[in-house]
Amino acid sequence: MTLDWAVVWQHRDALVAGARTTVLLAVATMAIALPCGAIVAVLRLYAGEPVRTLATAYVEFFRNLPLILVVYWAFYVLPILTGLGLSPFATGLAALALNVTAYNAETFRAGINSIRRGQTEAAMALGMSRVQALRRIVIPQALRRILPVLASTWVSLFKDTSLVSVIAVTELAYVSMQIRAQTFRVLEMLTAMAVIYWFLGYPQAKLVDWIQRRYAVTE
Amino acid sequence: MTPIQPPRTKAAGAKIVRYNGVVKRYGDFTALDGVTLEVHAGEVVCLIGPSGSGKSTLLRCTNGLESLDGGDIEFEGARLARDERGLRVMRQRMGMVFQSFELFPHLTARQNVAEGPRTVLGMTAVEANRRANALLDKVGLADKGDSYPSALSGGQQQRVAIARALAMNPDVMLFDEPTSALDPETIGEVLGVMKKLADEGMTMVVVTHEMSFARRVGDWVAVFDAGRVVEQGPPAQIFDAPATERTRDFLSHLGWSG
Repeated sequence: MTLDWAVVWQHRDALVAGARTTVLLAVATMAIALPCGAIVAVLRLYAGEPVRTLATAYVEFFRNLPLILVVYWAFYVLPILTGLGLSPFATGLAALALNVTAYNAETFRAGINSIRRGQTEAAMALGMSRVQALRRIVIPQALRRILPVLASTWVSLFKDTSLVSVIAVTELAYVSMQIRAQTFRVLEMLTAMAVIYWFLGYPQAKLVDWIQRRYAVTE
Repeated sequence: MTPIQPPRTKAAGAKIVRYNGVVKRYGDFTALDGVTLEVHAGEVVCLIGPSGSGKSTLLRCTNGLESLDGGDIEFEGARLARDERGLRVMRQRMGMVFQSFELFPHLTARQNVAEGPRTVLGMTAVEANRRANALLDKVGLADKGDSYPSALSGGQQQRVAIARALAMNPDVMLFDEPTSALDPETIGEVLGVMKKLADEGMTMVVVTHEMSFARRVGDWVAVFDAGRVVEQGPPAQIFDAPATERTRDFLSHLGWSG
């Protein structure tokens, strides 16, 4: 079996464009899922009924569905529900954001709950309102505590963006598979794809480690 | 069943806190069963008694961390607020020190002390830090301003917590077993700071198991048992001539010889 690595170089432009879309998709998903996750978590913790139950139902629904199912669902059902002809990118982004928001909401909720009640009481004994205690005392501590979890969610998300290739979003996985199908260079393209994902992912993992060391709080 | 009370030495002071038949229940358990007690300005009132007798619960009711199920509490002549906004205003005038310190671990000692003035009183960082430095100096920790709580001993953490409560310029300080979580060798430094505060005329309500502190520094001692005040009076009466069997029992369990 002869290997022809030139095929990777020939399609470098498409691969770079695909990688760019992957990064964009991951960043955009997180940019939506961080604030939305925080909002859903706060609704679950502090809102009255029925909002609290709805927020819980949302989290439990999307956390327990396979992501690929949500992607297909968004592709076929979302246009019918909204009446909008969304691009594959927007559809993929919606599916990923729905999924990651649910995960982040659960992470935020667990983080806030992990801060001892006494911390809120100490803040309120100083005369702070509940919102001030949350903002100044509880959330800064919770954020540091959940950073490792958010980081691992990010690393998973970065790789999970490949799932939206099933609805023809031209991200790295889709582009690689297309080239493979056209050239029949299976091993070369899968290897190239692995190398690109790894080199994009590894620095992120290292950055996350650094952030964790930098912001660690010891009690 | 409450015996006749002897006159109070600091009776001239205005009444800062007044508990009128305070009742607190947790489900079927009655934590406070009609507590009536007064705290006068400039007094150190010590609450003693066995664990679970309601001392800490009364303290937590004082600044509204726990709600009441009966009776009421007056603070500086006004009924304790029931709404969050009103409570917040009253809490600013009551400092609280917790058994487990509850310093904010993500802030330095100085930031811990400055947090109340900054967030609640709206002071500038410079002003708040100046106040924090002065208070850290007062509790003997002038050199620890940049240390995080995790780098401080238990006694040091509790002294920072006292400075944090003082930063709001409270009219009364509430101490909830401030030395119970400390190593024996650091208890003295915390009690020393509390003694100093008492000597300066700070009004204090202290839940404590340190009988020698209650005796030496206290102006008035209330003995709790099963959610009631079984006896109250000046320390000389409580420790030397307890009027009730319950007080005698409690003190003898502690090995207090009078």
